[in-house]
Formats: sequence, structure tokens, C-alpha cells
Amino acid sequence: MDAATFEYMKKRFEEYYMTATFMMPPAVEQREWGFIFFDPSGEVRMKRHIGFSSKNEVETYMRSMVPRHAYHSTAYYKLPSASTMPEKVWLGADLIFDLDADHIMRGAYDVMLERVKEETYKLLDMLTGELGFIDRDVSIVFSGGRGYHIHVRNLETRQWGSTERRELVDYVCGIGIDPEFMLGKGRDSGWSARYRSAVSEYFDELMKTDRESAVKAVGSIRGVGDPSAGSFVDSLKETSRKVKSTKKDVPVTGTLKKVLEQDGGPLIDKIRERAALTDEPVTTDIKRLIRMPGSLHGGSGFRVVPLTVRDLDNFDPLVDAVVFGESPVRIDLAFSLTMPVLGNKYSLEKGINNVPEALAVFLCARGAARYAGSVR
Amino acid sequence: MPVELDKKDLAKYPFLKEAQHLVSASGYSIDSLINKKHFIVKKGAERVEKAIKFDYFFDDIRLEMAEWEILSYAFARILISCLNERNLTDRLCRYEAERASYFLQTEDPEKKDYVTSIVGINPGIEEIPVVEYVGLCPALHDSKWRLINRDINSGLVRIEKNEYDELIKEKIRSMLDDQLPLRVGEGICSLLSSLTEGISSGYQEMLMEQFGEVDEGSFPPCMKAIINAVTDGTNIPHTARFSLTAFMHIIGMDVHQIVGIYTRAPDFDVEKTMYQVEHISGRGGTEYTPPACATMKTYGLCVNRDSYCKKISHPLSYYKIKKKMMKGDEAPVPSTKKDIPDKVDEKNP
Ligand code: SF4
Repeated sequence: MDAATFEYMKKRFEEYYMTATFMMPPAVEQREWGFIFFDPSGEVRMKRHIGFSSKNEVETYMRSMVPRHAYHSTAYYKLPSASTMPEKVWLGADLIFDLDADHIMRGAYDVMLERVKEETYKLLDMLTGELGFIDRDVSIVFSGGRGYHIHVRNLETRQWGSTERRELVDYVCGIGIDPEFMLGKGRDSGWSARYRSAVSEYFDELMKTDRESAVKAVGSIRGVGDPSAGSFVDSLKETSRKVKSTKKDVPVTGTLKKVLEQDGGPLIDKIRERAALTDEPVTTDIKRLIRMPGSLHGGSGFRVVPLTVRDLDNFDPLVDAVVFGESPVRIDLAFSLTMPVLGNKYSLEKGINNVPEALAVFLCARGAARYAGSVR
Repeated sequence: MPVELDKKDLAKYPFLKEAQHLVSASGYSIDSLINKKHFIVKKGAERVEKAIKFDYFFDDIRLEMAEWEILSYAFARILISCLNERNLTDRLCRYEAERASYFLQTEDPEKKDYVTSIVGINPGIEEIPVVEYVGLCPALHDSKWRLINRDINSGLVRIEKNEYDELIKEKIRSMLDDQLPLRVGEGICSLLSSLTEGISSGYQEMLMEQFGEVDEGSFPPCMKAIINAVTDGTNIPHTARFSLTAFMHIIGMDVHQIVGIYTRAPDFDVEKTMYQVEHISGRGGTEYTPPACATMKTYGLCVNRDSYCKKISHPLSYYKIKKKMMKGDEAPVPSTKKDIPDKVDEKNP
């Protein structure tokens, strides 16, 4: 980032922070804070192990220091500003799920954001619908980048170590499924239902292809020979009926077992489609820093927006996370692109363009453009 | 209406408050027993040693000596707190949980319900809230305990009747684990130092030789049966794979030796096996122990029982006893009446 762009960005952030409202985590004084600043050398360095004793202190710090990125710990510490973990004394941590489009797909920004929203819904359904977390304990935050953070705060989960958190993240991600239990008698809710539908869909696809290619596909699964693949395919209709019915245990043995437990392959994809693909390490790490709601994401200029479930329906990050206005700014764009912001679609050519400030900040933050002076 | 617990019951479940009351009512004082070098303190050390060696043999416990049983429990905990070593503490908690669970198997239903509720499980309940369940299940190894494989409806995890015993055992283990180490004064620990030193050096020795050289001939019938199934290429259930792996790990086989057993399978998958073996043998931080005979039975894995089985309640004890016999004077089957109390047969039909 050149000096002019740098100055421009910092000014905009400063302007925002003058009047910004933050959503502070509970127990501010037990959190560790970390910041990355606008560093003229371009170096990215985080200043962490910072502690504040009140919300006011945090606000004052934000307004005077104007960080490019601001984080607080998901953990609660006795001495958050101590420089080593043992000295901090861990007291507990919020339960966090990170849904980031980068982990799910590649594509245009707005398409990715739509997709990650779907994952977020799936996750929320599992958390509140199936696992029994109450809405009040679950908060949603737009990350300011390409996804959402889910913070779950209640007394019981606060004490959980990584292993307990792992149980939950495995659940939402669909990891560790044992077909025998999924296809057990009388099981038809939660993962069992999802699993049955994934398997049925997979079997339907096999049945739709001609016998020869179906046998070939099944025969290529590790441990399945051609003869058993043949008889498996021939009885597929019957097997599929059994998988759909919950009246009896489906014995998971022989070829069926090999087919269901294959590494990779189409079935796994279908299971993943039904899972909520969160970034696992974020949940199991009990000492993470997470973006502070209300701050700006220094790599997009978007606001890190706290949301309710109801907000999420109509939330459009490209409108609702944009804090800057429409006054025109001149930028030098590194490549041509099309991008919707604040309800308008902008098709920009490489080189000098006049764009609304909201877009200018975004493109500069992403490193796609340089500031080229304000428009008079 | 509270249940009536007699002295013998308290000896079975020394972690109950009533057990501590019994001891203090009898006028025993911990300090004076230590000062007097009372033999019961040594009994505590023996209890720790058994725990360390996974010596899960409970048939000869003399419940009529209730105060002694309870005191040896108390001293075991004091000693382990002085030692303050994660591994050892863990083993004592497992031992105590196995011990209590052994008695619970045949307990009067009312008393069993009482103990169950004391450890924080609502007896007879068919569902547990997810959050509570997750607090309980990580130390349970089998894939059936993983949250994702459970039958869950609106925040409640279904528990099958036959899963209760295992859950209670785990709850006892984790409850005891939470209590330890106790805060024991340095003065007391130094008075006990000859015992604690004995325990630690015994443990070191055991680590060195583990169970000595591996003698597959002394494996219990259940484990042999699983190995045969593996060799035949039969698909063995998770429970079997787990039990065998944990068994081989505890008797001192290393990962390569264990994987070696599995390579006998015709369609053996190295990577997957390595992964599972490393997991079970504690790479993830928790060291797993194989299930006791009672659990093996519920898994349907207790097969081809032989005369040694009558003496023991844990496959590990089977291995130890048989190996010793085979090595010693070749006295193959224990035969004195005293060694085989009749009640074993009732318990292990
Ligand atoms: S009694 Fe125990 S050791 Fe003997 S076969 Fe059964 S489970 Fe194995």
C-alpha cells in the first residue's frame, strides 16, 4: 500500500471510530485484546496480551489508536495481559464457530457470501433445533470478510476443553459417522435422517446409470471385487428401500459396509452438503482471538456486524456492513472487475475510476486499487 | 425415602459421604494413623499399586472390614495426591471406578439407583441434555459414544438401558478425577515419603518391563477370538477392535507390534490401522484401557471362557495370572476352593 492510500485508509477508519458503537463481549476485563495497526512499513504485526478494565477503556483505545484490525480473546483469563498463557490463567472460553467461504468454495464475492449464509443457517438449525442451545445464548456476527462467526455463551460450555468442543464440531461437520448407528432401527432424526437421505441420493444416482458403469463404480471401491459389486448393484433397489425405512436395523456388513465406509467418493460429498462446514480448529482452540464486533475489518473496510437470527434473513453485507458513503473518490484499479455495493452494480475498467467512497475503501483495503485523490 | 446402606455397602462405594462419616464416627484420625505407621496406610499404598498395574481383581475384597476398606481408599487418595502425577492419578480413578462398577453390576436396584444419583446421573432416565452428555462422553472411546452417532431429539441424547453401567462408571471416574489431587500438607507427604517413593519406583520398573515379554499364548480367549477373526478377514466390530488394541497396548506392545497383529488381515489398511492404534494407545492424550469382562459380555465379545476366566473379572488380570502360571511351576489351573469363590459363577454366568 502506498503512502497516499495508507493515509486515506487510516483517515477513513479514524472517522468511523469517532462515532462507532461496539458490541463488547461479556467480562471485558477478563479478555485479552490484540490489534494490528496501520504500519507504514507494510509489515503485519500484532500487538497482543493487552488487557482493559472497562468498556470505556476499550473505546478510548480504539478512538485514539485507530487499529486496522481489532480482536479479543474468546477465552476468559484471570490476568489477560500476562505475556504467557500459564500466567494468564485460563478461566473458560466462549464456544465459537467460524463459517468462512474460503473453506467452502471459490467464486465471486457476492456468490460466496450467499453460500456461506446457507451454511450459517444449517449450523444454527443444528445448534438450536437439534442440540438444544437456546437462541439467547447464540449470537451471530458478520466477520467483515467472507463469513460469519457464531458465539455461543453459556455457563456449561464455557468450561469445556478442546475435546468437548471437538464433539460438537464433529457433529456439525459430519465427522466420525458410523453407518451402523445412522441406519439403526427407529432412528430418523438429525444426522440419521441426513445420512439416510445422502445414501438414498447416492444409490438413486447409481441406479440411474447403466448396470455396467454402476458395477464399475462400485467395483472400484477399495475391498470390493467385481462379483460382489455385481450382486450389490443388482440388489440396490432392495437395499435402498431398507435404508429409507426406519423399521429395522440395517445390517452394515459385507459390500454395503465397504461402500458406505469408502474413503472419499460421491457419498462423502453428499454428507458434506448436509453438514455445516465450519472451520474446525477455530472451535477446538480455546485460546483464540476473534474479531471484535463493531470494529472494521482492515482487509475489506466492512464493519464486523453483530446480528440476530432475524437480521440474518435480510442481511446483505454489501449494503449492511458498509459504513462509508457515496461521495466520489478517484482510484487507480489494478484490474477490471464488477462489484455490487450499496445496491448498485459497478463495472470498472483497469486504471483510473471515480467510485463511491464505500467501494474505494473496499478496493484499497483489499489491495486491488490505489487512492488517486478525491474528486472535486 | 432414603435407602439404608450398611457397612458393607459403604466399603463398596467409599466415595459416598456416608462412608466418610462411618470412618470418622469410628474415631480414626488420619494423622494419628500415619504417625503410628498403621498397617492400613500401607493398604492404601497397595491399593495404588493395584491401580497402577491395572490389577482389576475385586473378588477377594473383604467387605466386612468396611472401615479398613474405606480408610485404604482414603490413604490411596492421599498418597496419589502427594505423588501428584497425572498418569498415576488417572489410573487410581480408573481403578476406583472399575471397582465400584464391579459391585454395582450385582447391586440391589434401590442401592444402585442411590449411588447413580449421587454421582449425578438421574437413575432410570432415558435422555440426557446434549451439553451434559458432551461433558461426559469424551473419555468414552467407542464410536457409539460420539455425539454424532447418538440419537438426539431437541437437545436430548437418548441413552439405552444397557449403556447405563458404562456411563455410571465413567461418571464415577470423572468425579474422582475432579477431586484429585487433594490438598495434602507437606508434613503429611513427607511422613509418607517412603511409601510414595516405593510406588514411584515400582511404577518406573513397571514401565521398563511393562508386562514383560509379550506372550500371545496367555491372551484370554476373548482376545484370541478377536485375533482369529482378524486373521480370517472377518469384519470385526469397532468394540472388538478397540478392546483388542487397548489390551495389547496396556500389556506393553508398541504401535508396530500392534499393527503387526492387524496385518494378518487379508485386506489390511496400514494408514487407517496406524491412526486407530495411535489414537487408542493414547497419542491423543487419553490412554484407554480395555473393557472389563462385564462390558466385554455386553459387547458379545466374551467367548470361549475357560477355567482362568472364573478367577478374574478383567482380561488384563487373566493375562497376568495365566502368564505367571505358565512361567512358574506350570500349575495350569487354579483349583483351591478359596481361589474360586462360588459367587463368581453367579456373576459371570
Ligand atoms: S471372562 Fe473375561 S477374560 Fe475371559 S473370555 Fe470373557 S471377557 Fe475374556
